[in-house]
Amino acid sequence: MPASPQAAEALYARLLGKGAVSYARAIDRDAARARIAADGLPVPRAEAWKYTNVAKWYQAALAPAEAPSVGETCVPDGVELHRFDDPAAAPLLTKHLGTAIDLARHPLAAVNRILLGSGVVVRVPAGCRIDEPVNVDDIGAAYEHILLIVEPGAELALVETPISATHRVVECIVAEGARLRHRRVQPQGQAPQCGLIAARVEQEAQYSLWLVARGTELRRNDIHIALTGRGAEAHLHGAWRLGEREHLDNQVTVDHLAPDCLSRQTFRGVVGGRARAVLNGRIHIAAGAQASDASLTTKSLLESTEAEVYAKPELEIYANDVRCSHGATVGALDEAMLFYCESRGIDRDAARGLLLRGFLREAIVGEEAMSVLAADFSGAGQSLGAAPAEDVARAGGEAQ
Amino acid sequence: MPLLDIEDLHVQVEDQVILGGVHLTVAPGEVHAVMGPNGSGKSTLANVVAGRPGYEVLRGTVRLGGEDITHASPEERALLGLFLAFQYPIEIPGVSNMEFLKAAIDSHALARGEGAPSAAAFIRRARATAERLGLDAGFLKRGVNEGFSGGEKKRNEILQMLLLEPRIAILDETDSGLDVDAMQVVAAGVNDFRDTGNAVILVTHYQRLLDYIVPDHVHVLAGGTIIRSGDRSLAQTLDRDGYGWIEDAC
Repeated sequence: MPASPQAAEALYARLLGKGAVSYARAIDRDAARARIAADGLPVPRAEAWKYTNVAKWYQAALAPAEAPSVGETCVPDGVELHRFDDPAAAPLLTKHLGTAIDLARHPLAAVNRILLGSGVVVRVPAGCRIDEPVNVDDIGAAYEHILLIVEPGAELALVETPISATHRVVECIVAEGARLRHRRVQPQGQAPQCGLIAARVEQEAQYSLWLVARGTELRRNDIHIALTGRGAEAHLHGAWRLGEREHLDNQVTVDHLAPDCLSRQTFRGVVGGRARAVLNGRIHIAAGAQASDASLTTKSLLESTEAEVYAKPELEIYANDVRCSHGATVGALDEAMLFYCESRGIDRDAARGLLLRGFLREAIVGEEAMSVLAADFSGAGQSLGAAPAEDVARAGGEAQ
Repeated sequence: MPLLDIEDLHVQVEDQVILGGVHLTVAPGEVHAVMGPNGSGKSTLANVVAGRPGYEVLRGTVRLGGEDITHASPEERALLGLFLAFQYPIEIPGVSNMEFLKAAIDSHALARGEGAPSAAAFIRRARATAERLGLDAGFLKRGVNEGFSGGEKKRNEILQMLLLEPRIAILDETDSGLDVDAMQVVAAGVNDFRDTGNAVILVTHYQRLLDYIVPDHVHVLAGGTIIRSGDRSLAQTLDRDGYGWIEDAC
């Protein structure tokens, strides 16, 4: 799809025109409109959009919206789920909607708010621990918002698979002492997709993300985790695999805003063809966020000479008592490892599959992840599906 | 027919000739020790026979069971029954030892025209073999050689050898970095493996290992050729007198 400069103007006009929206009219869209009116839409030259041609997304964004048709999302007993246009959602929306999102940083979230076609709010009451994961797949619109409220001491696992949304926002409020395990699976696709995961993690609360992604023509994940209470934790694990001309841009920010918080980020990518993978990992440690402990590692394997990887850790530290580390590597499959496998009678293709699966497992374990990322890898021994014990430990509870 | 027949092998690495005409014939049931000073070409010989990339064969042939494997891929050689125990076993993070072994065993079964063993049968056999080498069950779940001690890595090579049951096993300095206890375990594994149908080549710098695995033939490699062959007493002479006298004698 060729990018057209008119697309942004047309989208801008649509965003500021009144009356175009019929879904959940009670939701406040004024702040989002004001933000777009003041700042305009991101231009392709903007630093934050250096690697992803936002104009291409504008064209997709203008496509006529489908009528929202929310599929049945079943939730376990004890969990409350409402569509945004359900009156029962109103008090929760008034109190929480948008409170974890900085529209100035995430202008497409403002676009999402204005054009919102479908939304669900999920609330886990205080102290309620839910073992069974809640699955939210397609909720049926081009612009979707999933709002999760995990109240103090509660626990929830969310599994979401954004399939057709042009833009999806997942907003997570993880209250004091609560735990949210968030699994996102992004299968291979065609249409441009952008989205925002925004989480506010309060005192002693934990948020973990398990992201498994394939590519599309254009896919961008903005991930913004704010550790706002003392002792909060974020554990982010991501693995992706791209080929052909696919594009995946992950823009990750972890804000340490309170003392004694911990964040761990581990990413692995396998990039072939003429694909482009981006990881921008920003760790921001605010003044006063003493005794912060943050780390980020990202490793990429290039499978072709035309594949592109941009891996950029960014540290911004304003406190003086912190532990902070980062590492980024990009390389090809190790010839010595390949020879080792071949010398045991494993053919080159199978060896490659074995090594790539091992590489991806450094970030994410589990057969489900492998079925999305590596189903087409050849190789015997898959039936065992055994991951090294220490990797299971490393990936922590989010791999269950 | 010899199991392994190396004839007039000339090999270079990055424009430097390392082997200049090696002849070596190994018959079933035999154990050969290839000894020599540092830089004599011992590891090159082991690696080039296993088909490691980066070595250029200028002249000569290598035959395994009568089949010319001089230019075969490493995988073909392995499936024909050749095994190299690495001097520096490679770490493969994220791939469990169990998964790696199963992939190797399955490839061998497939090459023999057999079906892959069931996961349960394989796991039973792998555990029993690991136990013989003093490796606990958790060892099989760890990443291949990842974070293993030097001794564990070498024992893991022997574990692979015992499970893959090659016709000829080349052990490249398997004794280096082992304490006496570990060496005894490794030697017991090799002695278990030996039978009248297979053969072992021990590439080693020291005669120490040969106290535990008694060779039928000892060869001294120096300057890229085998300059002396003999029985076990040659190794004992080398241990007593060093390599100087042999080089002087050349």
